[in-house]
Amino acid sequence: MNRADKFLLAGILLVSLLSLMGMYGLFSSAVNTTQAIVVVRGAIIRRITLPVAGKSTFVVQGRVGAATVEIEGDRVRMREAHCSGQVCVNQGWVSHPGQTIVCIPGEILVRIEGAAAVDAITR
Amino acid sequence: MKRFGTHRVVFLALLIAMGTALHVVEALLPIPLPIPGVKLGLANIVTLLAIYLYGFRDGLTVALMRVLLGSLIGGVFLAPGFLLGICGAFFSTLVMAALLRYTRCFTVIGISMAGAVGHNLGQLLAASLLLQSSAIIFYLPVLILAGIPSGIFTGYLLKTLIEHNHKTGILNYYNS
Amino acid sequence: MNRRGPVLLIALLLLTALLASFLYGRRSREYTSDQFLMDTLISIKVYGSDPENLRMAVNAAYTEMHRIAELADSFPHPGTAAFAGSDVCRINQQAGIAPVPVNPDTLAMLQLAKKYCELSGGAFDVTIGPLMDLWGFGKIPHIPPPEEIRAALALVGNQDLLLDEIKQTAFLRRRGMKLDLGAIAKGYATEKALQSLKKSGIRKALIDAGGNIRVLGRNPHNSPWRIGIKDPRKSDGIVAILSLEDAAAVTSGDYYRFFEVDGKRYHHILDPRTGYPAVENMAVTAISSDAGIADVLSTVFFVLPAETALKTAAGLGEKVFIVTADHRILYSPSLAANIELLPGTAYRYEQGR
Repeated sequence: MNRADKFLLAGILLVSLLSLMGMYGLFSSAVNTTQAIVVVRGAIIRRITLPVAGKSTFVVQGRVGAATVEIEGDRVRMREAHCSGQVCVNQGWVSHPGQTIVCIPGEILVRIEGAAAVDAITR
Repeated sequence: MKRFGTHRVVFLALLIAMGTALHVVEALLPIPLPIPGVKLGLANIVTLLAIYLYGFRDGLTVALMRVLLGSLIGGVFLAPGFLLGICGAFFSTLVMAALLRYTRCFTVIGISMAGAVGHNLGQLLAASLLLQSSAIIFYLPVLILAGIPSGIFTGYLLKTLIEHNHKTGILNYYNS
Repeated sequence: MNRRGPVLLIALLLLTALLASFLYGRRSREYTSDQFLMDTLISIKVYGSDPENLRMAVNAAYTEMHRIAELADSFPHPGTAAFAGSDVCRINQQAGIAPVPVNPDTLAMLQLAKKYCELSGGAFDVTIGPLMDLWGFGKIPHIPPPEEIRAALALVGNQDLLLDEIKQTAFLRRRGMKLDLGAIAKGYATEKALQSLKKSGIRKALIDAGGNIRVLGRNPHNSPWRIGIKDPRKSDGIVAILSLEDAAAVTSGDYYRFFEVDGKRYHHILDPRTGYPAVENMAVTAISSDAGIADVLSTVFFVLPAETALKTAAGLGEKVFIVTADHRILYSPSLAANIELLPGTAYRYEQGR
């Protein structure tokens, strides 16, 4: 190998390194954070990175009145809702990416997003 | 150099035969990369020799013929791996022929290295078109790196052959 | 070294950069859209390279779902526009009076229902409307007195649903009969939406219609879609993961709509032969290449005893995953290659047969 060959080798290594860094930069937005996303009537109103320290609740205004979302550590539940079925409240806690809590009358959706073990859950 | 020299035709046929053999053997070697059909490109050695002796056009002929014959023998003709092979062979031939023709500074090792990297880039391009997926762009750095050792290896083999030729002039016989 | 070396190196660098940016430009984009429809949340996720095309494809798919939803809607009041648009409402209103001309899609749904009713020996019946009304699921659920159940049962009968393919009509022969497409419309609409996505050139998609899953192609990582099966008793758990390509997985469970009296659970999947909620299973997932068929089959297999369901599924060439009421888990042997079990202590996993 002469000087030019070594120069070429260094160049190839550099390109490889640069592309590796580029790759990391391009796709680092998809790192493994888990988020709870609260959607009311089609609009995202809150995005909470899990887990949270301690316990907190907040109130959202759905189509049929207020609903209380509770977050504790890495899990989320609908604590209280003014809908007739109470399906969302009865569902209990969710914490895994891909899981959702849905209040159909209130048009409220709580979705856990993140690097999921599954693409969807049949229920 | 005569355009249709018998020696040349015979030697091209020999190169194609050797390339095909290398291609088939290479297909049997397991490569720890998750892209189906991606190979190291050891068969590039005959392509480079063909370019070295006869230029780009014959180099391309040898490269494409060995992919064609190799995939027919391997039973993967027109399968995804075949397209990857064609694309890789084309890219590496292009890169090596350009370097041989327009530069004087590189040794065959450098040229072969560039050819191997070009081979892998060509395969990646074909794979991304084929899979309709960008996920494999993640393999870009790996594939560029993977070209270096195989390129140096094939380059070194060719260098030994050329040095041998300087002593014996055996290749000149086929170049007439 | 001559001057050409560096020039070529730069050219090589540029070529690589070009290739990288080309690949980046071709990267798969995701487009997700949620809509409340058919009493549930429909979520459509599609992948492709052109964002505008993705958006339009999803909108067209929702339009298709809305259309089917309207045909099968059983709640609007007579005289409203929604009532006139609902084939099911008009058929119910004309029960015992006259055949009603219906949309080809309505006819297709009813034919599907009729086919699987006969195949299952009546374990599923689309004319179950009077019983559903009696139990009050969707309104105020309660246990009806036995004599009322007997009276409602008399009005359930697949043989009295007459379909005329030539005249494109449907007719409930006796007055008081009532269709309930709850076990079929969502799946059928999901399949229609998926076919619409396909027509728009989409090759990777996931439709989640309130837990009815239909996937197209492979997932964004280019491997089969991984679909979890919910644990019927734990809100936060899954019991198995399916690997699916171009398939649908629909689950019927006793946990979705139910009430409890004296510790006994009464859920919304009624056995049309007894008039009471089916007691064999907690949850049943049907896997098929068609979401409409998977939807019907999940109800059919839910009502049948597990062993019968497995045998029926094998006969039909379809696949099923069952969590029985006595905490056993069984599944079709043909699923073995596509299933990952998550063994816990709550259920006894038995090899499918």
